[in-house]
Amino acid sequence: MIEKGLMERIINKALDSAADFAEIFVEKTFRSSIMMQSSKIENAVNQEKFGIGIRVAKGHQSVYGYTNKKDEKSLMQLAEDLSSSFSGSRVKDMIELPDAKKGENHKIKRMPDSVDIKEKVSVVKTANDAARAYNDEIKQVNISYMDSVQNVWIASSENIHVHDQRVHTRLGIHSVAKNDKDMQSGFNGPGAHMGFEFYDMIDVAAAAQEASRVAVTMLHADECPSETMPVVIDNGFGGVIFHEACGHSLEATSVAKNASVFSGKKNEKIGSELVNAVDDGTIENAWGSQNFDDEGRPQQRRQLIKDGVLTSYMIDHLNGIRMGEASTGSGRRESYRFAPTSRMSNTYIENGDSTFDEIIANTQYGLYAKKMGGGSVQPSTGDFNFAVMEGYMIRDGKIAEPVKGATLVGTGSEALKKIDMIADNLDRAQGMCGSLSGAIPTDVGQPTIRISGITVGGRKGNA
Amino acid sequence: MKFEQLFEKAKAKGIEDIQIHLEKIQEVDFNVFNSELDKHQIADTQFLSIKGIYKGKMGKMTTEEINDANQDGWIEAIIDSAKAVESEDAVFIYEGDTSYKEIPELSQSYLDTLSHEDKLNLTFELEKKTKALDDRVKISQAFFGETTKQVTIKNSKGLDLQKEVTNAVLGVDVVVRNENDSRNAFDYVQTNDPADFDVDALSSAVVERAVSMLGAKSLKSGKYNILLENRASATLLQGFLGMFKAESVQKGMSKLQGKLMTSIASENVTLIDDPFMLKSTKSGSFDDEGVATSYKKLIDNGQLTTYLYDLKTAKKDGVASTGNAFSGTIAATNIYFEPGKNDFETMLKELKDGLFITSVQGVHSGTNPISGDFSLQASGYLIKDGEIERPIALFTIAGNYLDWLSNIVDLGNDIKFTFSYFGSPTLRIDQVAVSGE
Repeated sequence: MIEKGLMERIINKALDSAADFAEIFVEKTFRSSIMMQSSKIENAVNQEKFGIGIRVAKGHQSVYGYTNKKDEKSLMQLAEDLSSSFSGSRVKDMIELPDAKKGENHKIKRMPDSVDIKEKVSVVKTANDAARAYNDEIKQVNISYMDSVQNVWIASSENIHVHDQRVHTRLGIHSVAKNDKDMQSGFNGPGAHMGFEFYDMIDVAAAAQEASRVAVTMLHADECPSETMPVVIDNGFGGVIFHEACGHSLEATSVAKNASVFSGKKNEKIGSELVNAVDDGTIENAWGSQNFDDEGRPQQRRQLIKDGVLTSYMIDHLNGIRMGEASTGSGRRESYRFAPTSRMSNTYIENGDSTFDEIIANTQYGLYAKKMGGGSVQPSTGDFNFAVMEGYMIRDGKIAEPVKGATLVGTGSEALKKIDMIADNLDRAQGMCGSLSGAIPTDVGQPTIRISGITVGGRKGNA
Repeated sequence: MKFEQLFEKAKAKGIEDIQIHLEKIQEVDFNVFNSELDKHQIADTQFLSIKGIYKGKMGKMTTEEINDANQDGWIEAIIDSAKAVESEDAVFIYEGDTSYKEIPELSQSYLDTLSHEDKLNLTFELEKKTKALDDRVKISQAFFGETTKQVTIKNSKGLDLQKEVTNAVLGVDVVVRNENDSRNAFDYVQTNDPADFDVDALSSAVVERAVSMLGAKSLKSGKYNILLENRASATLLQGFLGMFKAESVQKGMSKLQGKLMTSIASENVTLIDDPFMLKSTKSGSFDDEGVATSYKKLIDNGQLTTYLYDLKTAKKDGVASTGNAFSGTIAATNIYFEPGKNDFETMLKELKDGLFITSVQGVHSGTNPISGDFSLQASGYLIKDGEIERPIALFTIAGNYLDWLSNIVDLGNDIKFTFSYFGSPTLRIDQVAVSGE
């Protein structure tokens, strides 16, 4: 895309001041999406992205510039402009880049650009038909099909030069159930770091019916009561609670600035002894995996919490300098339009010793959050909120009536201490995580867990 | 770029009409943290989107590799895209309106009166002043961002429109701590006029906001009368904009279906979409389809008067587009509740006992734009006898947005806009369900 010699010249130009770090990130992305509404294809759009980001730093201070131009003159000028922020004489020797390493851990069997659009449309139709067939109360179904091939070339003065290709495939099903009283929706969005072979591995119709099942169940649900109670959060997307409430606070982005509740807590007990948590960017073909992070370092498996003790943060290169720790290969970004910072990959709580049935049977009264919606957190305080997409009351150790409109509110550090049961049914689910360096694919995950007490907000008022 | 050549080539390949939308954006951003320049970013990008009608269907593509040599590939992509479309909705490439409002103030760059050094110094000063205001300020982070955006729309029907908008934001984030608690707050000013950058006002507002929340605790669940602060109300409005889009209404995804010209809010509520508001990047005289934009009331003294339309949805309802086609969908420009007369102090006195809610969290997940239901984490202050008694946090407020609109008792005179130009004054709403301890 950009020849090695030019990359070297750009990096050396950028280091022609007191700067001690320079990096170039070249991206070419091709994304195709298909939208179906009212059982008709509404849109089929191809999007091409191309751009180059140059980052120059001295210590932990950095400047970043990006452009769509790729001629040598424009790029050398950008490198010079950025470099001039660090006045002083040159501190780094002339850099010679190694040959590019190519990432090969996530094999792709059917590249999206080799698949005829008719085949893609047939997946969309299968999903639409199945979602609508669930029952008569399903009045509207939107299907969004997406595949994207992101090619990146990353080189830096840290003797890094890599080429990575990230192939993402995802199908989103949004079902709306409606009767004369109410309207409720359900969503399911399976995806992977895979090509079109993904659709040979999942049951498209079953995935679509799942979205409809949630919508119909919630259509007949009562309002959730408001009170503090034990909450059982199911496996898979339930892991969003850990992602939001703890994961973000373990990113160097906030830890390095002492802006996280977990700053300075390494090797301290921050959660219940039952809790073991991992951020693993190496899982084969997982949605949040990469061969290299967006600073060109190999992705890693990071043990964040072991037996309740904080064992590792997620660290990018520059925040690592601020903290006096090495990068954990966690520098990620949405595209060349963002400077990278520390981000999650596939983040999950590991299996425990209980079973799902034991957890329900041991809960006299509480909320069973079977499907979680999204949420957000304030890293400085750890205050979080989550929507429950599909919930049920638990009465006398049994799952009882469905409830809608519940929100879980709490503090990450408190919730982590209150996890008192963990099942053995770990599963992961796909999401898009938004933060400083844009929206990136991440997996959340966990086995079924119980939190002994958490504030549940609903519209029914006090029980 | 040789767009005329592209139009001719497209015609030869059977594309009936074609339109290009070209955006050029220049940005400068910086962050000051701990008296150091923590982030400094410059950007110079272009983005081209093309749509064309082929055999009655609309094909679309976008690219950032803008080079005339790629024209043949673009035309092929448009045709492939159109071939996949099944929707039988009528599609349009617009010939243009007879006149477009001139808004020269939008592109005038008053910001150029400040040098790059001045802008840096302003940001450094804001960070420093904020930190110096109170010992409990442990982190202060000031940011400045300036964007210039040029938009060109041309099509094979002879439409040729251009606009340019320049704007900047100056803001600050703080984290304050005492022995027991930690709280954060941020505030900002968005403008194209450097005279609006009041560093003293910004720094004291943000520190006061954070420090006064220290020690916040939950409260008893129940029904409370509340004041919903301007920016919290604007954030909530943002979560429910979907209800007003003709597309959602026509697809049965909005509870406002069938409600035109009926009362959907208290009589004192007027909701305005104003594309001509000065100092906003959302302003302009035309939308992405080339339709002239217009000032309009969506809710006029409680009555729903119009939805937001693009050409396609307008055709279906037999009305004119309201000029709200943006980024491939329907969007508002600068949308806000018309302010009332009372100042905040008066509203506080009149509330007497209740809650002053300054922040709602999780609008992207805790709201259901189809049903209008929401349940959101909130924070603010408990009010006794018209005075702040103590800070409150970790509770939720829940309800239905349409019920709330009907229960608005009063609107203040203190309008504030979010980063995305949703605006509101402080609202008084009675009998709100609060879930805490």
